[in-house]
Amino acid sequence: MNFTTLSFIFQRVRRNISTSPYLHLATTATIAFSLLIIGAFGLIYVNINNLIRSWQDNIRVVAYLSDELPQGSRERLQQRLAKLYGVGNIRYISKDDAMDRLKRQMKHRLSLLEGLRENPLPASFEIRLVQGWQSWDRLDPLVDQIKAFPEIEDVECGQAWLRRFSQFIAFFKLASLIIGVLIAATTVFVCTNTIKLTLYTKRQELDIMRLVGATDTFIQTPFHIQNLIEGLLGGLIAVGVLFGTYRLFISKVQSPHLFLSSGEISFLSLTACGVLLSVGMLMGWLGSCLSLKQFLQS
Amino acid sequence: MTMEAESVIRMFHVHKRYGSQIALHDINLNVMKNDFVFITGQSGAGKTTLLRLLFLDEEVSEGQILVNGIHLQRIRRAKIPFLRRNMGVVFQDFRLIPSYTVYENVALVLETAGQQTRYIKKKVRQVLRMVGLEDRLHTYPPRLSGGEQQRVAVARAAVGNPLILLADEPTGNLDTAAADMVFDLFRQLHTRGTTVIVATHDCRLFEKVQGRIIELNRGRVESKHNI
Repeated sequence: MNFTTLSFIFQRVRRNISTSPYLHLATTATIAFSLLIIGAFGLIYVNINNLIRSWQDNIRVVAYLSDELPQGSRERLQQRLAKLYGVGNIRYISKDDAMDRLKRQMKHRLSLLEGLRENPLPASFEIRLVQGWQSWDRLDPLVDQIKAFPEIEDVECGQAWLRRFSQFIAFFKLASLIIGVLIAATTVFVCTNTIKLTLYTKRQELDIMRLVGATDTFIQTPFHIQNLIEGLLGGLIAVGVLFGTYRLFISKVQSPHLFLSSGEISFLSLTACGVLLSVGMLMGWLGSCLSLKQFLQS
Repeated sequence: MTMEAESVIRMFHVHKRYGSQIALHDINLNVMKNDFVFITGQSGAGKTTLLRLLFLDEEVSEGQILVNGIHLQRIRRAKIPFLRRNMGVVFQDFRLIPSYTVYENVALVLETAGQQTRYIKKKVRQVLRMVGLEDRLHTYPPRLSGGEQQRVAVARAAVGNPLILLADEPTGNLDTAAADMVFDLFRQLHTRGTTVIVATHDCRLFEKVQGRIIELNRGRVESKHNI
């Protein structure tokens, strides 16, 4: 393909767009709208996932010790626990430390603790996990191993709600994927029909081109380029609107009472934005491929 | 040189049917290089169908066609555009692109063939000068008269230096003066070595050139004779 052919193809792209601008505006808007929905799902997913990950990173296993455990046995137990795979840092919390912590947490209701004759709280080990061991499939066997020590009376690995929340997020991810695919398919369908409308309005022109010796590639290329441009524009609009909404949202989320702080909310990464633009271009290209295939075969 | 070597178009027992309707029946034809051939007959005789088979706008139902040695029934779809670049086609209804200027309509042929811009400019101006429309380069076809539009169509057909020029009722929509002007262009192209095939029922044109007349009647060859 030489310079003349390329310049002619771009002339045809300009001509196609300028002869029916509203049709092309509608295609761009459709692509932008669908990418906006897909991007919004992505943004929500990324942030919730980040939040869960940060919570998971703070997961700790608390192993409660029996009251009769002498200091020497406790130190040996700590050494044995430290040798288990996945165990990072182990911190000993004595009965008194546990009571002090409870008092700090209940500083406005200390009267509730005044009637206690003795400290009912057990001593414990707070076990932090090494990086990468916070996933449920690795955590459960480790907890079982800790429970197996006879000196340990009970093991608590709170965050049961976090596990359920993670399962909900996995479901959300699947639902988003299905919705995303459906929206993308609908957009491709709309793009296909928009190109079909353009093809019908240009049928005479394209027939003449074929008669004078234009190849299928020569006929198709301007439509592909035009839809790629519309996909790219739609993607840019979607990313722009998403970013604007994101900035507006984080400017409102400054209250410390909200469970999310503005610092914890992140926008889509550059790669994700690139993927969104590529998906827009892909949808446009698929739309033109499907319509042109049908047209050229007719 | 043998007859085979000089043949540009050969048709062997060509049939064309649309459902049960017979458009062409057992057509045998041999057109030599630089021939001027008239295909004549009444409306519905099969003149247009015969031309459409030659530039592969239609496929034969039976028989074989060779154009410049290429077997049309065996040609790959991707090769059809290259075959068409060796042919110029002129239609009764001109078939110009209304949103393209005169220059753009003619240049289209060379642009599809991937020619260089400088060559295209030179060649298009040259051909438009030949048809007397050099001053209408930037005019859109709907602003031209019928005769002028047909001259643009002839320019478009001629610009690629085709081996064969096919014309389907080229003067059908024109008055006598415009028709004569268009036919003079065909004669010029013929003089330059182009094989010209004109489908027409305008008997007046037969007197203007030495050539062959093939008369069709209800899809069959009724007569062949030289003029």
